[in-house]
Amino acid sequence: MSLLEVRDLTVGVERSPHTLLREVGFTVEPGEIVGLVGESGSGKTMASLAIMGLLPRGIELRAGSVTLDGRELVDPATGEIHRTANEMTMIFQHPRSALNPTMRAGRQIARVLELNQQMESREARDEAVGMLSRVGIPGAGRVARAYPHQLSGGMCQRVMIAMALACKPKVLIADEPTTALDVTIQAQIFDLINELVDETGTGVLFITHDLGAIAEMCDRVTVLYGGQVMERGTLRQVFTDPRHPYTTYLFDAVEREVDPRVEEKGVNFALQGCRFGHRCPYVHEACAEFPPLYPVGDGHVASCFLHGGTDGTS
Amino acid sequence: MSYGGPVPPDYGDPHAPGERAEEYLAPEIAGEASALPLWRRKPLLVVGAVILGIYIVVAVLGPLFVGDPRVTDPANFYQGPSWDNLFGTDKFGRDVFARAVHAARLDITIGILIAFFAMVIGSAIGVVSGYFGGWVDEIVMRLTDVVLAFPGFVLALVLVAAIGNSIPNVVIAVTVAYIPYFIRLTRAQVLAERELEYVDGAKLAGNGPWRVAFRHVLPNSLGPSFVQAALVAGWAILTVAGLAFLGVGIRPPTAEWGVMVAEGAPDIITGQWWTALFPGGMIVAAAMAFQFIGDDLGADVL
Amino acid sequence: MWRYLGKRLLVSVATVVGIVIIVFFIVRVLPGDAAVVRAGPYANDEKVQEIREQYGLDDPMLVQFKDYMADAFTGNLGVSIRTNGNVTEELLERLPASLELAFYSVLLAAVIGIPFGIVAAARKGTWVDGAARVFAVLGSSMALFWLGLLLIYFLFFRLRWFPGPIDRLAVGTEPPGTITGFYTIDAALRGQFGVMVEAFRYLALPVLTLGLVLAAPILKMVRASMIEALESEHVRTAKAIGVPYRQILFRDGFRNALLPVTTAIGIVFGYMLGGNIIVEFLFAWPGVGRYAYSAIQVNDLEALQGFVIVVGVLYVALNVVIDLVYAWIDPRIRLGTKVTA
Repeated sequence: MSLLEVRDLTVGVERSPHTLLREVGFTVEPGEIVGLVGESGSGKTMASLAIMGLLPRGIELRAGSVTLDGRELVDPATGEIHRTANEMTMIFQHPRSALNPTMRAGRQIARVLELNQQMESREARDEAVGMLSRVGIPGAGRVARAYPHQLSGGMCQRVMIAMALACKPKVLIADEPTTALDVTIQAQIFDLINELVDETGTGVLFITHDLGAIAEMCDRVTVLYGGQVMERGTLRQVFTDPRHPYTTYLFDAVEREVDPRVEEKGVNFALQGCRFGHRCPYVHEACAEFPPLYPVGDGHVASCFLHGGTDGTS
Repeated sequence: MSYGGPVPPDYGDPHAPGERAEEYLAPEIAGEASALPLWRRKPLLVVGAVILGIYIVVAVLGPLFVGDPRVTDPANFYQGPSWDNLFGTDKFGRDVFARAVHAARLDITIGILIAFFAMVIGSAIGVVSGYFGGWVDEIVMRLTDVVLAFPGFVLALVLVAAIGNSIPNVVIAVTVAYIPYFIRLTRAQVLAERELEYVDGAKLAGNGPWRVAFRHVLPNSLGPSFVQAALVAGWAILTVAGLAFLGVGIRPPTAEWGVMVAEGAPDIITGQWWTALFPGGMIVAAAMAFQFIGDDLGADVL
Repeated sequence: MWRYLGKRLLVSVATVVGIVIIVFFIVRVLPGDAAVVRAGPYANDEKVQEIREQYGLDDPMLVQFKDYMADAFTGNLGVSIRTNGNVTEELLERLPASLELAFYSVLLAAVIGIPFGIVAAARKGTWVDGAARVFAVLGSSMALFWLGLLLIYFLFFRLRWFPGPIDRLAVGTEPPGTITGFYTIDAALRGQFGVMVEAFRYLALPVLTLGLVLAAPILKMVRASMIEALESEHVRTAKAIGVPYRQILFRDGFRNALLPVTTAIGIVFGYMLGGNIIVEFLFAWPGVGRYAYSAIQVNDLEALQGFVIVVGVLYVALNVVIDLVYAWIDPRIRLGTKVTA
């Protein structure tokens, strides 16, 4: 049993047949950093919001199970997620806009502690300053009294990390944590995350479109496109031996050697079958069905009929 | 780089693009929920348009069918609403309904005219200010700031008071009060538009700056202005009627809704509510119709 | 913050100067002989010439302008044709009545508009939201004079709940001695609670008229900024860390929506400075609006000029106050936007 186990997550727009995520699944173990990689529009942010219970108005969870340490988070009657900040939290892409502009940084962290750990305000305040130090902020006291607009982007991200880890959650979701920051700051944030993971054994779901970041940080990877899991495996498996036409296309794009046989088109959310079908050079009749994840290695799976279907395994 | 793993021979070679295996893919899900009928998507727009339509019909054709509003019938004064007099009669025995219908022609026309002129003049100035920038822009901005520092009603009031009471003067005064809205709106659009590529294209094609500004940029900057114009037409009617109520601009015996309310106001205290409340109600309904249209077209301006 | 405020103050002063100048031009430079207009439709040539001399309309424009500016900035707004009184004095005398009306109207508008707007935003898409939007449309298309008459008819004539539109107090009631100029407050301060109640009863209908109409733009603004605040990223963070919904609504949503809402209240005050002419006329309220109305009837341009300048100045002063409030609420303005860490 994994620390975080997501199975068959299906998310769509209310009152519309379109599905934004279809049967998405992945796992995270303690002390592990699992990457969720995909282009913009692949549904990776949506997946994270879904399991956190933060789906925006108009988007609904249609099916799926999310278990944290064995406990099912999805309420079977309502489809709502029941989760606390002591179990799983999230940090976001634009740190400054994610923080409340009219509340001081220290207070925002203290609030998390007061709400979830029932701390008194004095204790929470001290603990907040302590957290700021632990995320590598010098002069933590001064920063605690500052407002978000007075802090740099990297500093804001550290504040958000402090907020997220204040209650020592078992799982942390990091949605493009460094995409809006400078490259030098990016390295610092990565180091910080690694440090914290080693120290606390927290499991991290690391979401990004940056393959380099994945290569640097992650132990295992899930590749997402059009709301469908394309491939999943260890970092080495997916990066050195990709088995899905989409994954290969993704790596080619980084090298700027895109296969001209792949059609350049947007995602088509109405497709019932494989979500890469309308672009894939290998598409064939079977692709009209939604492909299951076929095993292609030890713990390595790919959702492509090239590796299964009527002919069995590859 | 090659695709990983052996390709099962049954599936053949990869296609070239263009040889798309369209037929291999499931058809799109039928019954896409994209085309709801207009009256479901924008109900207010439809309601507003219907009401406005009725008003226009009344304004254009009404006076041909109702009696002469100036006919007095002293014996019949202060009759409440009845089948003979839909809106009752006033203190001179005039039929309130007939008068209100004649007033509709005046008010609706004025409202639309004011909105139209304000939009045309305001947009023209806005384009010049936004496109050419510089000190012209500065001056225009300062002027609009000062004009907008006044509540529009007070400004129109002072203007009419200064240039005299007459229908054309009222139209001029209220138009002037609303021009700044359009200047600001168009200018904002123009500032965004002029960075777009088609402007460079037009310039390279040899068009002089005035041509580029008016022939190319202006048409694309007018979207929000049309929406605003709908709202302004409604406000214009309210303003003109409000001024008339105060005895400014349009005065008795001209048949105008505000004038009618002013004449009927004293009657309220003695219980003859129909002389003031019916014409007033027509003002509000007309303003609401324009408001519905403007709101559902996308404005959400104060 | 001080630099920001200093800049705003400068702009405001410039605006006031602009207003004064523009009023001058409107009244004098427009087509039509100013003396003829002032003399009214019944004057003969002699009277018109008299007026011309009396008001210096014969003088070269520059002289007129100089005199006018000097007068205006020393607070001398001329003499009223109608009353022969000093315009400045007469306006100041009537200002408290208008301010009392304005104050309670805006208060009512805020009390209706703000909670309604918050609830509409929190329950977006439900019937409450629908009702709010209907109210907003009605308010934006409402004719003040019609609503006033409607209320007079139903609440005075039919139901006799409130007194008729004749003044701030019943004929024969002595107003309380002036401390603030607000009858309601002054009466309370002097222990004259009967008078206070009566003052409120006479305030009721005009305040209801103005307040209901002004509530509409406030509601629209509150709803819009609350919706934006509630859909913002930092609210998403708050939800992520487990902040209960009610606290989100107020501490994360409204507190941040407060900024545009404050602006809305300022704008509303502005509308009201114009709308109060109609309401004061309708309810026979002895304020500056009514003064303006009387001035209009007899082409008393001096008085009207004075009224417009006072309104303009008040409006600008109000905006400065709003800016101050803004600065106090928004730490970005209060502390400057420099990144310090």
